[in-house]
Amino acid sequence: MAQRLALQRLLALPTRGPLASHGRAFGTSAGRRNTFNVQDGSDFQDRVVNSPKPVVVDFHAQWCGPCKILGPRLEKLVSKLEGKVLMAKVDIDDHTDLAIEYEVSAVPTVLAMKNGDVVDKFVGIKDEDQLEAFLKKLIGA
Amino acid sequence: PPGQTRLPDWDGLKLRVRTLIASHRVMIFSKSYCPYCNKVKELFRSMHVEYYALELDVTDDGASIQQVLVELTNQRTVPNVFVNGTHIGGCDATYQAYQDGSLQKLLGGNQITEPYEYDLIIIGGGSGGLACSKEAAALGKKVMVLDYVVPTPIGTSWGLGGTCVNVGCIPKKLMHQAALLGQALQDSRKYGWQYEEQVKHNWEIMVEAIQNYIGSLNWGYRVSLREKSVTYLNSYGEFVEPHKIKATNRKGQVTYHTAETFVLATGERPRYLGIPGDKEFCITSDDLFSLPYCPGKTLVVGASYVALECAGFMAGLGLDVTVMVRSILLRGFDQEMAERVGAYMETHGVKFIRKFVPVILSLQKFAQVEQLEQGMPGRLKVTAKSTDGSKILEEEYNTVLIAIGRDACTRNIGLQTIGVKINEKNGKVPVNDEEQTNVPYVYAIGDILDGKLELTPVAIQAGRLLAQRLYGGSSRKCDYINVPTTVFTPLEYGSCGYPEEKAITEYGKENLEVYHSLFWPLEWTVPGRDNNTCYAKIICNKQDNNRVIGLHILGPNAGEITQGFAAAIKCGLTKELLDETIGIHPTCAEVFTTMDITKASGQDITQKGC
Repeated sequence: MAQRLALQRLLALPTRGPLASHGRAFGTSAGRRNTFNVQDGSDFQDRVVNSPKPVVVDFHAQWCGPCKILGPRLEKLVSKLEGKVLMAKVDIDDHTDLAIEYEVSAVPTVLAMKNGDVVDKFVGIKDEDQLEAFLKKLIGA
Repeated sequence: PPGQTRLPDWDGLKLRVRTLIASHRVMIFSKSYCPYCNKVKELFRSMHVEYYALELDVTDDGASIQQVLVELTNQRTVPNVFVNGTHIGGCDATYQAYQDGSLQKLLGGNQITEPYEYDLIIIGGGSGGLACSKEAAALGKKVMVLDYVVPTPIGTSWGLGGTCVNVGCIPKKLMHQAALLGQALQDSRKYGWQYEEQVKHNWEIMVEAIQNYIGSLNWGYRVSLREKSVTYLNSYGEFVEPHKIKATNRKGQVTYHTAETFVLATGERPRYLGIPGDKEFCITSDDLFSLPYCPGKTLVVGASYVALECAGFMAGLGLDVTVMVRSILLRGFDQEMAERVGAYMETHGVKFIRKFVPVILSLQKFAQVEQLEQGMPGRLKVTAKSTDGSKILEEEYNTVLIAIGRDACTRNIGLQTIGVKINEKNGKVPVNDEEQTNVPYVYAIGDILDGKLELTPVAIQAGRLLAQRLYGGSSRKCDYINVPTTVFTPLEYGSCGYPEEKAITEYGKENLEVYHSLFWPLEWTVPGRDNNTCYAKIICNKQDNNRVIGLHILGPNAGEITQGFAAAIKCGLTKELLDETIGIHPTCAEVFTTMDITKASGQDITQKGC
């Protein structure tokens, strides 16, 4: 999709559409601590791969409609677990290397990671029940 | 004053000499009558080593080149021999080097010293580049693609996929569709649809939806390159040496890469007017398709299909659009059809100013941030001068869209360093019928080709076939004859084969029979839309069984209609075969199966009834 550098600087406002920076969907204050946007490769290494707690990684894109629904839905459920699971959000256009490393071909792709390993994964939108089961499996086993 | 000879262009000659030395394994500056030169050529022939000899006695500026060589090598005489860029000397020196083995060392045995990093490096990740890369990778080769978008003057940039996907065919057709839907809404009431709401168009919603789709295509291309194991670099590629490029990414980091073969697929970018303010205040198609605010009252400068298509859909979305044309519409296309395209646009709300060019741009009102948020662009005053006298026009517009042509991206990629010739007038690359440039290991495809059609499917086909010839043992060449095209103006124009003017020049008017017809699409009858506006014609070669050599149609869905007939033309379609083909009723396309009236007869083709 097109990027407009000058206008982004000019506006410096989060707006919907091509100029949007996806980081706004932070959810409630409780969710804020448990959900974060990955900044770069080493941030991913620190906060996801080396995380003592299991992490759910949400690979998404600005141009992806279903991602905009799945993201908040997943965040809500993660925040209900009160810190047992963390959620990392990765914009695949900003962090293409990471997306390629984890073989993301379509979005949304969600990985369940424990001790640096991918233990579970799904692609596409899921409803709340399916997401709850997915999260339960991650903390359970 | 008479008697004065032109001074040699020393810099140009030095460059030419250095390029020759760099581009040939063995370079011999020679004279055709010189026996020592012949001896040296014999030596290389006996070694089965190819050489390139420039005969200075029959070359323009030969004497000056000899002077340049003196400067470079301190050697006044010919033959002057270079091997892999190293100066050997004359005949004696070359024989000496052969005897003591140093010549063979310089020649490096059969191969150039280091193996190349890649089999194939493609500069440009558009329609042609990507198709070629995937085909070559599928044939087992190690391939790299470099794609880099230099931002427009106002900062617009885009992802992988080239012009078609990002700022060409795809968004164009989608916006054209948006405009057609507006027309359909108007027609719908006549078909019984009743609704109270006033229907209006929201530019931002349309752009966001289209950009989201394009984003998914960009990602799709990245994934497909990865799946086919093609290395992709989002870097600007330029040649620094034979077989070697320098790749610079957005952050300025530089890497170097070598390959046995290169393909140039760098495409084109819009040309600006060359008057002050054009880059700061005007936009082009590169900016239009992602413009975050509605363009408002727009002046489109140009009469290319880009200009007319953009003007067309903007008017269809309800904007106030004017097209400023310097001379004719759709240069290169059949002019009768071009004028009909323009006439339809004019009766449908597009203003035309013919035979004028903009000369002064003056910003009346800068777009403040608040205004941009509300979707209001600034205001630009345009002063235009007539090409046909001294008349001046002045008018204010919110947006000026420049669409006067596109220039090939070949000037700044180091082609002169490795000796690849380009057409200096238009920057395009001349190639033979195997898409090979004058430098044997460098090929070119797509919009940058000199004298070929600028179309995505042509680039894709050329790219695929090139890869198959290089690595798949194929000998199939790209067929540039009878390529169908469609201009997606509000009334679409599809064509395949010759424009009428060209057919007349090529075959002679007396050897052609042109059949034509006006027609009224059934769907237009109920809403009472333009009768006797849609038009179709075929041009037949009387000397070849009335072979259809040109087919043209102006009407809805022209692209869909033309595609099938293009295949028929490839099979040698004749008028008789068309007459034998039974039409599908009720369609627009069937008009081709019932054409009886020739232009020559002068009969009236106005439709009266069904």
